[in-house]
Amino acid sequence: MSRETYQIPTPSQTANPGSSSGGGLNPGAQRSPFDADTNTVMQYICGDCGAKCPLRRNELIRCRECGCRVLYKERTKRMVQFEAR
Amino acid sequence: MAPSSGRRQPPSSEDLDERNIVGINKETITNTVSTDYPDNYANEEHAWDKEAFRRSFKVQWHDNQQYEAQFSLIGIDASIANAFRRILIAEIPTLAIDIVYIYNNTSVIQDEVLAHRLGLIPFTGNKKGIQNWLGFWRKPAPGEDSYATTFDSNTVCLKLQAKCTHNKDAPPNSKDPKELYHNAHIYAKDIKFEPLGVQEKHFSGDGVIRPFNPDILVAKLRPGQELEIEIHMHKGFGWDHAKWSPVATASYRLMPTITITKPILGADAEKFADCFMNGVIGLEPVTRKEARSKGSGYEGHEGELKAVVKDPMRDTVSREVLRHPEFEGKVKLGRRRDHFIFSIESTGQWDSDDLFLEAVKTLKKKCQVLRPQVTNMVYTF
Repeated sequence: MSRETYQIPTPSQTANPGSSSGGGLNPGAQRSPFDADTNTVMQYICGDCGAKCPLRRNELIRCRECGCRVLYKERTKRMVQFEAR
Repeated sequence: MAPSSGRRQPPSSEDLDERNIVGINKETITNTVSTDYPDNYANEEHAWDKEAFRRSFKVQWHDNQQYEAQFSLIGIDASIANAFRRILIAEIPTLAIDIVYIYNNTSVIQDEVLAHRLGLIPFTGNKKGIQNWLGFWRKPAPGEDSYATTFDSNTVCLKLQAKCTHNKDAPPNSKDPKELYHNAHIYAKDIKFEPLGVQEKHFSGDGVIRPFNPDILVAKLRPGQELEIEIHMHKGFGWDHAKWSPVATASYRLMPTITITKPILGADAEKFADCFMNGVIGLEPVTRKEARSKGSGYEGHEGELKAVVKDPMRDTVSREVLRHPEFEGKVKLGRRRDHFIFSIESTGQWDSDDLFLEAVKTLKKKCQVLRPQVTNMVYTF
């Protein structure tokens, strides 16, 4: 799979965010993101106060802390590989 | 045939000294090229000879610390000295960060820039493990699995994981991000070594793979930002990328010479000493013997201070002295063409004296490759 093709954003599990990487020499194995139904929670970041807002599908786009209507997507948790040079 | 031809006198030792000195004048440099090769001087041999080299070649140590060395190679040609310098910089293998896998980076520093910064951090670890046991990694061929060539014997795995949070216990009117937040600054020491396979055996205790300077700042974070990075280190050479160079710098300079041709006395002597680095020129009283000898220029100056050259090695050859009219014709500056003062500063993976020995070994290996080829070339013609 090429890195350049469109990829569905990864729904982050609220239980354990950021622990997707496996140790050792095989980075990159991840859960398929295709099972996005109405119950999947996506994390967004408020454009005003910076708080994390978990949102479901069809929910009102609004920060629960400050009521700001601008929400940003989180950065992908997918691994990106770089040469250190 | 010219009337002056015939047997020439063999060169005097002053002539030989003079030949080895690069002249440094106010605006020009003279006598820069070596002349000691066959057919350059009539009736002189100058073919390269192993025994003659063995007799004349000298190594002098000035300073030998673990990571910084200064020494002189005397009686060697510039081409060889330069070969050593270039080998030191580019052809001695070291271990450095090569591939960076970024899982998360929400800090303000871009992924590419962060990867580049990480690559330049010098690491150290058990010398035997890095130099002898660890092998070279090969880039997988197109179509091959990306990790097909990655083993514990050629890759060192590191991990950097940090999340910045507010510090609840910060003093109320503090403005220092380091007090206000946890993990505001990420340093090289936060990169943790993850031993794979049998690496534990080679890199543990004192020999663990670690940054040589633990306090290199890698990134700055603010609350809510995080880094999650996995790193693969590989062995490589300085000719591939400067991060694999084992030296901060390896350089040489030629030994400066300062010759005082006419006496410099009194206030002039003090001014003369100020034209050079500290310790290069000393001031000594004129002795009775010197004051009595006719034609020395010291007559009647007994007890006055005169300038003498004490330690020309410390001089930077700034030529300041040539700008002052009162010293015109009284001093000659130069550099000894076959006296190389090397200075090697290691980045921490090798000891600096080991580095030079390794450079000699590398040059020897190269010569062993070249020799059969030269022999073959002679056979084919």
